[in-house]
Amino acid sequence: MRSRYLLFALTFLFWGAAPLTAQTRTLRGTVVDTATGMPIQAANVGVRGTSIGTTTGPDGSFSLGIPAGTTTLLVRRFGYRFRTIVVQPGETEIRVALASDPLQLDEVVVTGQATAVERRNLPNAVATVNAEDVARVSAQSFEHALQGKIPGAVIQTNSGAPGGGVQVRMRGVSSINAQSEPLYVVDGVLVSNVAIPSNQNAVTNAAGGSNPALTQDAQVNRVADLNPSDIETVEVLKGASASAIYGSRASNGVVLITTKRGRSGAANVRMTQRFGFYQLSNTLGARKFNTLAEAQSVWGAGAATYFQPGVTYDHEKELAGHTPLSSETLMDVGGGTDATRYYLSGAWKDDGGIIKNSGFERQSLRANLYQRLGQRLNLEVGNNIIRTEASRGLTNNDNAGVSFYMVFPFTPSFVNLGKNPDGTFRAHPFQASNPLQTAELMKNDEIVWRYLGSGRLTYDAFHNATQNLRFVASGGADYFAQKNDLLFPPELEFEGDDGQLGTSLLSNSDNLNINSGVNGIHTLTPASGRFTATTSFGASYSQRELNVARIISRNLVGGLELVNAGTVVGVRETRQRVEDVSMFAQEEVLLMNDRMLLIAGVNADKSSVNSDDEKLYVYPKVAGSYRIEDLASGIDALKLRIAYGESGNQPLYGQKFTPLIATQNITGLPGLIVDGLVGSTDLAPERQREIEGGVDLTLLDDRGTLELTVFRKDVSELLLQRTLAPSSGFATEIFNGGKLRTTGVEVGLQAVPISRPDLQWVLRSTYFSNKSTIKELTVPTFRVGGFGTSLGAFEIAEGKSATQIVGNDSLADGSTVVRQIGDANPDFVMSFSTDVTWKRFRLNGLLDWQKGSDVINLTKFLYDLGANTADYADPITVGGVATTKGAQRLTVFGKQTAVYVEDASFVKLREVSLGYEVPPRIMSRMWGGVESAHLTLSGRNLFTSTKYTGLDPEVSNFGNQNIARNIDVAPFPPSRSFWFGVEIVF
Amino acid sequence: MHRPLSTRTLSRLIAGAALVLCACGDLTVPDFNNPSIEDLQAGASPTTIRQAAQGMLIGTRAQMGAQNGYVSLLGILGRESYNFDPADTRFFTEMLVGPLDGGSPAFGANLFAQRYRNIRLGNTILAAIGPVAGLTAAEKEAVRGFVKTIQAHDLLMVINTRDDLGAPIDVDVAPTGPPAPIATKAEVFARIVTLLNDAQTHLQAGGASFPFSLGPGFAGFSTPTTFIPFNRALRARVDVYMGNFGTALTTLGTSFIDPAASLDLGVYHVFGSGSGDTENALFDPNFRAILAHPALETDAQLKPDGTRDNRVLRKVTIAVPAPPTVQGVTTTVGFSIYNSPTAPIPIIRNEELILLRAEANIGLNTPPSLAAAQTDINLIRANSGGLAPIALTGQAQALDELLYNKRYSLMFEGGHRWIDARRYNRLGLLPLAVPSHTVPSRFPFPEAECLVRTPAPPGC
Repeated sequence: MRSRYLLFALTFLFWGAAPLTAQTRTLRGTVVDTATGMPIQAANVGVRGTSIGTTTGPDGSFSLGIPAGTTTLLVRRFGYRFRTIVVQPGETEIRVALASDPLQLDEVVVTGQATAVERRNLPNAVATVNAEDVARVSAQSFEHALQGKIPGAVIQTNSGAPGGGVQVRMRGVSSINAQSEPLYVVDGVLVSNVAIPSNQNAVTNAAGGSNPALTQDAQVNRVADLNPSDIETVEVLKGASASAIYGSRASNGVVLITTKRGRSGAANVRMTQRFGFYQLSNTLGARKFNTLAEAQSVWGAGAATYFQPGVTYDHEKELAGHTPLSSETLMDVGGGTDATRYYLSGAWKDDGGIIKNSGFERQSLRANLYQRLGQRLNLEVGNNIIRTEASRGLTNNDNAGVSFYMVFPFTPSFVNLGKNPDGTFRAHPFQASNPLQTAELMKNDEIVWRYLGSGRLTYDAFHNATQNLRFVASGGADYFAQKNDLLFPPELEFEGDDGQLGTSLLSNSDNLNINSGVNGIHTLTPASGRFTATTSFGASYSQRELNVARIISRNLVGGLELVNAGTVVGVRETRQRVEDVSMFAQEEVLLMNDRMLLIAGVNADKSSVNSDDEKLYVYPKVAGSYRIEDLASGIDALKLRIAYGESGNQPLYGQKFTPLIATQNITGLPGLIVDGLVGSTDLAPERQREIEGGVDLTLLDDRGTLELTVFRKDVSELLLQRTLAPSSGFATEIFNGGKLRTTGVEVGLQAVPISRPDLQWVLRSTYFSNKSTIKELTVPTFRVGGFGTSLGAFEIAEGKSATQIVGNDSLADGSTVVRQIGDANPDFVMSFSTDVTWKRFRLNGLLDWQKGSDVINLTKFLYDLGANTADYADPITVGGVATTKGAQRLTVFGKQTAVYVEDASFVKLREVSLGYEVPPRIMSRMWGGVESAHLTLSGRNLFTSTKYTGLDPEVSNFGNQNIARNIDVAPFPPSRSFWFGVEIVF
Repeated sequence: MHRPLSTRTLSRLIAGAALVLCACGDLTVPDFNNPSIEDLQAGASPTTIRQAAQGMLIGTRAQMGAQNGYVSLLGILGRESYNFDPADTRFFTEMLVGPLDGGSPAFGANLFAQRYRNIRLGNTILAAIGPVAGLTAAEKEAVRGFVKTIQAHDLLMVINTRDDLGAPIDVDVAPTGPPAPIATKAEVFARIVTLLNDAQTHLQAGGASFPFSLGPGFAGFSTPTTFIPFNRALRARVDVYMGNFGTALTTLGTSFIDPAASLDLGVYHVFGSGSGDTENALFDPNFRAILAHPALETDAQLKPDGTRDNRVLRKVTIAVPAPPTVQGVTTTVGFSIYNSPTAPIPIIRNEELILLRAEANIGLNTPPSLAAAQTDINLIRANSGGLAPIALTGQAQALDELLYNKRYSLMFEGGHRWIDARRYNRLGLLPLAVPSHTVPSRFPFPEAECLVRTPAPPGC
């Protein structure tokens, strides 16, 4: 069926094509900077409405075959204002001067699946992040590099573990039970962002407790594989009003990533070498025991063996105080001719972890090719092979006393957990588990091989002075194989707990995403020039398939890692496949001298995960913007914009079925048993309706911009989980119902306070806040995530915030009630960035400020239970009675959960970078042929200011979640990183 | 020459686009991971029925050997055991200090939901089996008898944990419709008796063998005929719980009670380490979490040689290597009763039946019945505890002695001590490690059961 589809697509592509315009002429030209007159290299010069184009060489010159008649050229270069040049018939040589554009006013931004407009006409608040901002400071995954750069998106790590695990949540809550992840599109390929647990749960038994979620393995969501230095631009469609054209997978927003391309000209080689290290940035500390009596009051008489007055050990630093050398090597080459262009890149990143045996590596090779296959046809191909390897220690919740920070709460500071003189580790006297030993001897490796391939065939079916028609057939594949290789050798202290010494866990997962489609784009500009109408339409097919096979092997003979060396072996496999078909049509009209833009579009799609897989769900959108120039003195332009759109969020694979469980047996006898899930026969995607409006101002001679956006999104037909009476034998039914509303405001401010040839200062600030409320719930109040009300839980209740945290609280009469005690949603988030260029120096800084947002700090609860919190013994007086802080918290535990719910407001210095461009004369003396060289000192997350008493206010024990983030249970400790880098271009 | 794009060309292109879409056939993707429940409804195959019947054994075993399961949690309430798992202190804060929280799924709600899940499986089998081709009428009767017996046992475990709150019994309702009403405790017991009696009738018509396997836990009870004494044994336990002592004695006569046989003769939950099987997590060789209450050691009677009751020596380890202390609770005693990850847990066995007979006789409280009780108790004292015989001097003293023996004979096998203490109003006598600890008489209803009921019934 798939191949048939492609065949149809290709047939369709060439069918009905108009004859080619044969007459062309050659136009030569130069592009220069208006201020300095210096040539601008790598500027794009293209014929409007076609794919005909080229880029300028190092001397700013270009040569291009253009139609014989009057032709409109577009000249653009990132960092400059773009220009439209009308070339008269017979003209053969032009000179184009571009003005500098530090505020990126003329950036081109997507409006649909196949079209784009200049930012100044854009009817939506689409955030863009360019290559320089993504790659400025080394980041483990590209999401880290987006933190603080997208107004409206809360981007937070789930823990400090190397290798990723970051949630991008756009515009608050969009769903309760469906997908929580945005749709990631890399060069047109719908890439996978699944997070596959490592299966460390087989050792931690985290899911064996009161929350059976299998997502407590500190898993990595797989966009972390992408190599940030390959990225040219990231465009973020935040809500349905912008993303409607992506239909039922767009509800959480769409992140469009475009990778770098080659430019015609001589080979341009760029090499970057960075060295640095990661360093533990926060510890919890532990209680200091002053006397033996105090120690024995907590640890029993046995404490006498270990207690020595004044001798303490900092177990956290012993565990996570490592700073191994980290490095990053990047190299790319781009070049080619007008007909053939290439971009090749290689990257090797090796991040040492702060905990022994932890760390992250990425190797990536990319080849992007462009080939003109004739006057009207061109082909672009992208190939990327990536290998990542993350070693992530053993953190997060457990029920076996093995996770590092699950043991520390029950480890007094006077106990030495270090090695004996003979090299073996000391046994933990109070817990059969020594985290230092575990870290040194265990293995938790996640190795991913990934291939991303994209192809794009563009065919200029027709063009003349007023119309042109282009077809684009595109498609791609994203395949990865993930291997999770975990070993807990027999000599680990905790290994005897189940009577089976040694555990080896092997999981092999493979994921394949394929998508293909055909778009047509027709542009009409009547001779009068009164308007430009762009019609786009298309259809696509996508499929995603994920298979996970796991082996759990215990009681390892000879301590061998092979899973068949165990005497007790368990296997498990799950499979899923989803197929979608989608089609869209969109009309964009730019009129009134490019002052007004109107867009209307519609997407319709169907999917195998809906109960009715034949039914088309339709998602319309309309948007408009109007631009007024020179409104008043100081206001260069004012744009009013409004957009409305709908999008969906599909049910998850399996939700439509009522299964029997067929994977269990009793001493080998197969048995079918009832599962708790009842499938609904009319499951449909959730529907989001978003309206967004805004005002954009360009101020003070292009020296400042202000973007103000308000939005309201209403999500209805939520995929809700109805809790069934347990006496029915079932637990839950998934169905469509209920409504939630998220409203918010986003502000972006940019200014260039100083702009002189030798000193330029650019300031940017963003502010956003949003609030999600459950407007209608057709089921009783229910809880998502958490460990019950005594430990704090998220509760979905009509009329309440979608992210409210409830817990037990005491009334004046002494009785206990369950009520709201916090909210995970921040009050607001602000960021400030500064970019100062002075002569050859450049200083960048990015500050990220989150106000509000509560975290359930269960790590602290565990320390309290161990009577081991740093402040446990600090005296306080409650109601005239002297007690200690920790004892008091435990006294009210179960009655006042709020003692463990903390404000997680923070200010983080996300990025700092100081660059120096080595003068060419020095470079040429040292190394001839080098075009430029930069030296950079940089750092990430250097400084955090917060009142939160846990390790890091960015935390999620359960990984990426629609609602139930912000639960802190023994996370991987956070780190900061420092880098020194050299970049050479030749 | 430039030719304008004609409307005709455009419409051809749009038609082409439509054609592309039609080319994408249907998007049906099956459930790769599970069979559908429809397989066990109309038109079920004999294989499906067989496997579902075997599934009843998995379902009734669910949660039994878990560290937060029936045996463990009831053991904590009855002050037989502790769970020192540092990761979840609700083993202390809820189970010892209290109150029990219906909102804690792993602390009691599981003991409710798992039982009803198995009852649902049974009802699904009973509804499907009638028209199944390929099974004889006798085989169908055998399946019905087996299913109803297991359902009765599951329902008994429900009422054991909810006691005077009662429990829903007419649960064969649409899962998304209104919930089954909550029946009183007496009605629940009556339903258990009905199920067991119906099951007996079915089994009597069940032919020579079951059309499925019962596995090693039912060795000696694996044909419809030999299964009936197990059914009767459960009925005897219910009779005693209901205080129908005369009936209990009659029922016991048709059970597998046999003073001459091994005290371990009986029916068991079995565990396995094979893939897809479940291990007995009460096996805790390092004494990490599951430990015994110290009173098990100190309350034990002495044998003539001055050493402790053999049952203590057999079932617990007196001195564990690293005795834990948490929140004022400490113990040096651990269990050795489950000595491997595949150690079975009794469902009901001969030793209990003999003690049930003694209990019924004590309940009847006549001189001959007390004498009979004395014989049974002394048999257990001698054979299980190695203790010297005693004389029963009256009902109160006899009851003390009986409960001592039930406590040690059925130690950590399924909450017998807590249930018996409740039945004889002795919960207040259970030893508390810390004065603020409490002993609840029952678990509340799970929060999910409460949420679907307006107004919320007692126990919510």
